[in-house]
Amino acid sequence: MDVAYMIESLPRLLPAFWVTIKVSAVSLALAMLIGLSLGIVRSFQKPRNPLALLMDGYVGLVRCTPIIVQIYAVYLLLPKTGIKLDLFWIGVVALTFNSTGYQIEIARAAVQSIDKGQHEAAATLGLGRWHAVRLVILPQAFKRMIPAVTNEMSHLVKASAVLSVISLFELHKAAISLQATSFKFVELLALQALLYLPLILGVSRVARHLEVSVFGFGTKTAGQDVR
Amino acid sequence: MQFLDLGFMVGILPDMLLAALVTIQLAILSVTFSVALGVVLAACKLLGGRLVGALVQAFVEFTRGVPQLVQISIIYFALPRAGLLLNEFWTGVAALTFIGAGYAVEIIRGAVESLDRGQRESAIALGLSELQTLVLVLLPQVVRRVLPPLTNELANVIKASALLSVISVNELTKVANDLIFEYFVVVEVLIELAGLYVIIIGSLLWLSKHLERRAKA
Repeated sequence: MDVAYMIESLPRLLPAFWVTIKVSAVSLALAMLIGLSLGIVRSFQKPRNPLALLMDGYVGLVRCTPIIVQIYAVYLLLPKTGIKLDLFWIGVVALTFNSTGYQIEIARAAVQSIDKGQHEAAATLGLGRWHAVRLVILPQAFKRMIPAVTNEMSHLVKASAVLSVISLFELHKAAISLQATSFKFVELLALQALLYLPLILGVSRVARHLEVSVFGFGTKTAGQDVR
Repeated sequence: MQFLDLGFMVGILPDMLLAALVTIQLAILSVTFSVALGVVLAACKLLGGRLVGALVQAFVEFTRGVPQLVQISIIYFALPRAGLLLNEFWTGVAALTFIGAGYAVEIIRGAVESLDRGQRESAIALGLSELQTLVLVLLPQVVRRVLPPLTNELANVIKASALLSVISVNELTKVANDLIFEYFVVVEVLIELAGLYVIIIGSLLWLSKHLERRAKA
């Protein structure tokens, strides 16, 4: 392995790596905002509610189509509707579209997994519906969402590599364009792995810490069950 | 004026269905190979020493932590360098097998470890060796537990197979993409493409849920 080449090309990959981080972070923030709130709303709706059916259809569509097809669709269809965005924001729209679908499901599952007794106990203590949801149900639900949202974070970073097909100059695109001239694919793979892996493992670590320190209530064993 | 050109959609259907068949073939072949590889690696991890276990774990972390597209492009460039000249289809199978093996290891290892300890202990007590215990006693019971997650994995592999379009494997996404740029018809092709994926992946996800419910019952 040509280590000198790796050191030499690292500075050329770093700006693209920054694009990877930015596009994933912005999409994650947007998708959490939209997806988690929609999911919470969804969890309190009856299954026959038209809005619930619409959301279920959307979640089904996102879960049952490959991310690359979703990216092509956003890339090809957005200009048709008259919305002109640059590549970075097309990437953000595509990743947000994808992640929102999964996060609706995460929030819905988390809220619905809270024991019915919690609702009843809150009502017995004299809390109104809104107070019960805000003070009793949601804090517990948010705690249960963290591992799944963490998973979603690493999914998004990995999905951002697929944005190379619409020529967004993120890490993978930068690496294949260097590879096209130098043919040093082993070195470039190692570099990409060296950048992607710590990012993905790092965010998981931070999220796990968050789960214990911020949302550590209610579990006496908090910190023990964490691997 | 019509909103969608239905005649066109019917016209491209045979091509799309053939391509969907290629996608399904790719997925079934690579899941089969990755399960085989996964069984071997899981056995190494369960029976082998610390070093072997760490190596298998490193492989698992690699396949799960590095984007699938990166793994596909590396297989695409690495195989010919290693002297293995495969056509696009088999390169695709190799790439998906590599990606899927990491997940298969975890599915199989998880299922083996979820079995009651007594199973292993009584097999050893009856005089079976560790390997015999694994193959004759534990694996048959594991099969029932791994079917739901493996069906789910098949759905994931079908989604991943769409990425093979970038190394010009003639699967569903590639064929659809070619049709878009041949006729400049975007909406109709995309709807048909998404519809086919929803049918294939949707039924697999349904099957996985169904199997899971039956395994629990």
